[in-house]
Amino acid sequence: MAGLRAGEILDVEGPVRAEIFMIWLKVDHLELTGPDGPVPWIVQIEDVEHPVEVVERIVTGLVGAPLLVHSTSWRRDAAAVILSFLVVIGPDQVGGMASQPIVRAELARSEATRAPARIGQEQVLEHAIRHLAWLAQDDEVVAARLTDGWRAELAGYVPEPFRSLA
Amino acid sequence: MTDAPMHLRCVCGWEATGTEEEVVAAATEHGALVHNMKPTRDEVMAMVVAEPAAAADQETPP
Repeated sequence: MAGLRAGEILDVEGPVRAEIFMIWLKVDHLELTGPDGPVPWIVQIEDVEHPVEVVERIVTGLVGAPLLVHSTSWRRDAAAVILSFLVVIGPDQVGGMASQPIVRAELARSEATRAPARIGQEQVLEHAIRHLAWLAQDDEVVAARLTDGWRAELAGYVPEPFRSLA
Repeated sequence: MTDAPMHLRCVCGWEATGTEEEVVAAATEHGALVHNMKPTRDEVMAMVVAEPAAAADQETPP
């Protein structure tokens, strides 16, 4: 029964999944939002689908075309590989979705040869925004999509490239 | 098919309550729009439970 867990709730399965953090700049600070409130949500990726295309399509269907879609990290979660995506949208796309200011977090650091024992969603988001801060400096396409307000907010994040969190 | 109130909860927190037809339609739409899933009617129905309030109404007093 693909995509469903026997028992009580509709679940998302599959060997590859996308975890979407949808963020926006609310005047002078960053906020997290989504179709089910200020939490990341999981998307199933079928064998023949490209993860970036799926995320772009799902987000566009919900709120319109995003400003940026970028995969920022990956980790293993039980039988699946989770690709984390940061999606940047404009203030006019938030609509009635619940939203909440993003709180800074310590990163989940790996040991020399081992993954972190625990990786929280707030740590994945912290790394994702640091990754965006890196892209804003290193990638002309990304930089061109971000306003001065975005660059000011990202200046407070230590730039980090894409990496495995597990 | 029945008109008895039914309930379904998604792992993301989204919930639907209504008749069988309404819950199946809502879950199918939610799965496609938010999770890139295409659950069949049977798969949705396998996850549905009786709506809590309706279930309580049907309990007989001791």
